[in-house]
Amino acid sequence: MKVCMLTWEFPPRIVGGIARHCLGLAKALVKQDHEVHVVTLDFPGVAMFEDVEGVKVHRVSINLGHPNFLTWTFIFNHFMEKKIAELDRNIGFDIIHVHDWLTASAGVASKHYLSRPLVSTVHSTELGRAQGLNNPDSYLIDGLEWWITYEANKVILCSNSMRGELENHFRVPLEKIAVIPNAIDPSEYARDVDQQAVRRRYGIGHHEEMVVFVGRLVPQKGVEYLIRAVPLILERNNGAKFIIAGDGWSRSHLENVAMSTGYGDRIRFLGFISDRELAELTMSGNALVVPSIYEPFGIVALEGMAAGTPVVAANVGGLADIVEHDRTGVLVYPQDPESIAWGVNKVLTDPGYSQWLIRNAKKKVEDVYSWQAVASRTSEVYEEVCKG
Amino acid sequence: MPDDIRFLCSLHNVGATSSEKSLTIEEISTWIVMEPDKVTENLDKLIKNDYVHMSFIEGARKYHVTIDGIRKVLSMYS
Repeated sequence: MKVCMLTWEFPPRIVGGIARHCLGLAKALVKQDHEVHVVTLDFPGVAMFEDVEGVKVHRVSINLGHPNFLTWTFIFNHFMEKKIAELDRNIGFDIIHVHDWLTASAGVASKHYLSRPLVSTVHSTELGRAQGLNNPDSYLIDGLEWWITYEANKVILCSNSMRGELENHFRVPLEKIAVIPNAIDPSEYARDVDQQAVRRRYGIGHHEEMVVFVGRLVPQKGVEYLIRAVPLILERNNGAKFIIAGDGWSRSHLENVAMSTGYGDRIRFLGFISDRELAELTMSGNALVVPSIYEPFGIVALEGMAAGTPVVAANVGGLADIVEHDRTGVLVYPQDPESIAWGVNKVLTDPGYSQWLIRNAKKKVEDVYSWQAVASRTSEVYEEVCKG
Repeated sequence: MPDDIRFLCSLHNVGATSSEKSLTIEEISTWIVMEPDKVTENLDKLIKNDYVHMSFIEGARKYHVTIDGIRKVLSMYS
């Protein structure tokens, strides 16, 4: 099948989980003999067209800007539409697959002018990300999210919690929804890493514990609650240090919160780091904390499980599907520093328990969350919508 | 959202995302309807944090969002 996949982020333009999701899915679909064309936005220093392990990546240059973000998204969607029309003349796509609202307009337009079926993967909702629709921009984004679920022949969601969210909020008929989880490539964590060297790089001494957070520094990720848990963790594990990898608009606020705990010297903000460094960091931690307030899936938890690091995750959204409490990780109450501290202390103080979690978690990742499984289920969705 | 980050978003959205697309303070001021003094103040802060880069192009100071700056902006909406 000839697939046109639309996404605003694709490596190396990595913001959240969508870029990695699109790359993993596209590569796995190619292995299953699909022809996959990704249409995405340009990025400094990257070719406008490249072949990534069989995936054809077409980058679109945005030749017009506007200071308003939403206006800017409509402008770049227009440039994407033109690119899709140009490509279709030679390729003849069978299906359009849109990822999230940011490329909704180009996807819906292409569906109608090419008369092709449309599949939409909704990775999260504005209602969840913003924890409510609190301003006109949020209402507009919410409307676009409804629109793409209305126009799509099939809607793919990554977790049962997302299915509930779309069913309740957008009234999407259940038969129109397919729940297909995210996946990761466990081989990225199969290499040998000198964990002591990695830990030294981040200032972690031989007998100190490294607690890691990986993600965007925005309120929905709940980093503030982890930071507020630091004094409670140090009461029982006074050698613990906290490494926060990622960036986002609330970084300066979080740095202030870290200083206010009185343990600012134990909390280090790394900003953006490369994928390789990220994998090494995750593999070298004593605990990976995912304290999200809202998390449609929670791929970071899967990465921790594959990396052999005990995962302490908030019991929200997709994290509750991935992490089985006391079996593949520890679930804690969201927005609750005491509960987070309890979970982290549990894994830091009991190495035998941590090893048990790690073994179970690795097996679950291999059995359930492979890209080939995700691609097979996505292929079934493509076939279903193409049959009409 | 802090003012400097809001400003960074606007600079990104008007397309100043590479040295070829970099803009002068006057151009930025016109595009995003902000006093040049305020533009300068925001740029100074963002340059310090490596989110914006300044270069001399044909004798003029021009500014564009760095790769880290682009990611910072995108992180707000993803």
